[in-house]
Amino acid sequence: MKEFIAILKNEIIKTIKRPRSFIGFGIIAFICLMLQSAFYHDGKEILSFVTGQLENVFNVEGKVLNGNLICFIVLQTLIVQMPLLVALVTGDLVSGETANGTIRFLLTRPASRTKIVLAKWIAGLFYTLLLLIVLGFFALFVSHWIFGDGDLMALNSEGLTIISADDITWRWGYAFLIAFLSLSVVASLANMLSCIMDNSITPIVTVMAIIIVFTIIGMFDLPSFDIIKPFLFTTHMISWKSLFEDPIPFHDIWFSIAVLIVHIVLFISISIFYFNRKDINS
Amino acid sequence: MQKLLSILFLFVSFQALAGDDPKLLVRELNKKFNQISDYKADLFMEFNIPGVKMKNLKGKVVFKKPNKFKIKAKGIFFLPKQNPMQNMSEMLIDTNSYTSIISGYEIVEGKNCAIVNIIPLKAQDELILGKFWIDIKNPLVYKSQITTKNNGTIETKSIYGSNLKYALPDKIIVKVEINKVKVPKMMSVDLNKKSKPKTGIESKETGSIQLNFSNYTINAHLKDAEFVD
Amino acid sequence: MSLAIQLKNVSKHFGDFVAVNDLSFEVQQGDIYGFLGPNGSGKSTTLRMIMGLIKNTQGEINLFGKSLNTNRSAIMREVGCIIEKPDFYNYLTALENLQLFARANQLNFKKADFEQLLERVGLLGREKDKVKTYSHGMKQRLGLAQLLIHNPSLIILDEPNTGLDPQGIIDLRNLILSLNKEEGKTILFSSHILSEVQEMCSSMIVINKGKTIAQGKVDELLSHEKIHVKLEVIEVEKTSQLINQSNWNELFDKMEENVFVMNMSKDKIPELVAFLTHSGVGIERIDYRNQLEEYFLKITNQ
Repeated sequence: MKEFIAILKNEIIKTIKRPRSFIGFGIIAFICLMLQSAFYHDGKEILSFVTGQLENVFNVEGKVLNGNLICFIVLQTLIVQMPLLVALVTGDLVSGETANGTIRFLLTRPASRTKIVLAKWIAGLFYTLLLLIVLGFFALFVSHWIFGDGDLMALNSEGLTIISADDITWRWGYAFLIAFLSLSVVASLANMLSCIMDNSITPIVTVMAIIIVFTIIGMFDLPSFDIIKPFLFTTHMISWKSLFEDPIPFHDIWFSIAVLIVHIVLFISISIFYFNRKDINS
Repeated sequence: MQKLLSILFLFVSFQALAGDDPKLLVRELNKKFNQISDYKADLFMEFNIPGVKMKNLKGKVVFKKPNKFKIKAKGIFFLPKQNPMQNMSEMLIDTNSYTSIISGYEIVEGKNCAIVNIIPLKAQDELILGKFWIDIKNPLVYKSQITTKNNGTIETKSIYGSNLKYALPDKIIVKVEINKVKVPKMMSVDLNKKSKPKTGIESKETGSIQLNFSNYTINAHLKDAEFVD
Repeated sequence: MSLAIQLKNVSKHFGDFVAVNDLSFEVQQGDIYGFLGPNGSGKSTTLRMIMGLIKNTQGEINLFGKSLNTNRSAIMREVGCIIEKPDFYNYLTALENLQLFARANQLNFKKADFEQLLERVGLLGREKDKVKTYSHGMKQRLGLAQLLIHNPSLIILDEPNTGLDPQGIIDLRNLILSLNKEEGKTILFSSHILSEVQEMCSSMIVINKGKTIAQGKVDELLSHEKIHVKLEVIEVEKTSQLINQSNWNELFDKMEENVFVMNMSKDKIPELVAFLTHSGVGIERIDYRNQLEEYFLKITNQ
């Protein structure tokens, strides 16, 4: 255990000290501030795109444009970008070392390959958590600071759900947990590809391609795609949004959590299996 | 006995007179409205809007003559563009601005109501047609259907309780026709939702907002500060 | 003396390609062992198998009398290696790199320990610079620090002189000799340059195309061999007659244009020179190849 903690510490230090790790933090901060700025200046016009159908008949009373709504929109917008940022770092954790030769040092030390893969995987999850903390800070806290608190008008394809500001904090907590679980699937997938491939670019590009293709399939409302959608992990990555429905479809959420966990276990198992048999020729 | 008969005659003749004359009905109604200089009440709102899920909401309603009206509640809520509480009295009070005719009679909430049609005299008025179901016995609006140029048609039903004297309802149910609110999937990013077969023509759906009033405080000299956020 | 490394019938196949074929050798503790072979002969693959970087398809690898398959972790505590070239995390400083290496070896290093190590490899004062700013030579020295940080008893070096300048080669040779002689460390190093092995090693193995060509004590291997003496003369015809008619004919190997190639021991050269000059043959040039190089080039058909 002491040995594992030592190599885990090494992996975390390497991960957070890499210049590319900061690209992710920077992009998240930039996207959040950009969206906040856009909503600060043109929020009502942007919102009328959604509420326009209602505004023909109703006056929408209360503070619709608030920190909760901005956070919701930011999270929804970043559902495609966040996995790419996660993959940018986690897809390179093993293959990057293979490419630059430091893997030889790692694998000629006493720690087993299984421990090394697990340490790298956990370091990847730690980075994912840091990304989410940065996202949470900008999307939730900065948005609340700029736009204030208020009821959340959550957008979903069924329409709108208004969630009381008093009833929202716990939802954000669980939403971020599910988002973390979802991104952990991406980190695990990237880690797996990183174990299989020997250069740092291919795993990142492959993860991005998988996510983009799966997301596009998810976006198309074609009944024929409905058959394959439950098997795509990207389908379940958005399940944090279900916490902002009324009533909350807990059964669907638990199912998504189970699917995501199965994916994580599968990806990490393949990583360990493959990496233990891999010849290091670099 | 003669006295009693004369009273009965007068009552019946008023009923007959009022039942036939929309102006008289409206005048009687306006008398009730005119007794109010301000009021305040607790409000409980129940929403049933197609495509919008929201919890019922508590709040307060405040009114002060001539046209100060405010619903105070915490959070987001929807109110009809035409405020039934305010519009009805405002619309009916200026009897010189419209022509009124009775287009028929109908039993609403067990009351024999005359259907009073209000047609504005000026073409540039926002109102196109106002239909009020007014009890001919005790003139109160039990149902209304107001069509305006910009905001379409809105239908209300009123249920009265202890404030009949002021024509203040305990409950107003506002019915609206609305296209179901739909958020484009590109915007909602609901990858985990299954597509639903399209039905072809999208018909309008009926939604309603029920406003329940209680604990009226009438003519308590409300201050203007009550209307400030 | 006990064995530091023992390979028994080790093979490695990459698909249909046989990189190492039934290789067996032993390295005694305290030896400097040379692993000789031309490029692509399977040296690196073998060293990577010994370090557990590549899995052997067949055979058995034992280090310090223990199987690598079942005792890898314990074995690696005793082994230090530089395979191909030392590599570092370029975005970290030299000290941060060494801290990572110390932690990976579960060493509880203090500041003074790092300073001592840095001083030994001549990098004290530059430890806070990022490795990406280091020259090739400095990286080599940092590589040595990485190699020695856990004080291994077995050191494995894969072509350690590659890319070093002449002074660097001398420094490294001195370091290897001092580690062996003063600290008793066993050293296995691969090379495709014969003189390196000849100068430093007590034992050696020569492989080609994954197969063992020869192995044993360097001195013993060379003592069985005759050197190639190349004799360039002015009068080829006359010389040919003289050799044919004398006992030197038995040592004659072949002609290379006007050069006579003789298979003979080094100490017979003065006798041959005397015979020819006394017979009136003018010798233009006499040349003989380095013994180990000749041997190596011969057995590897280079």
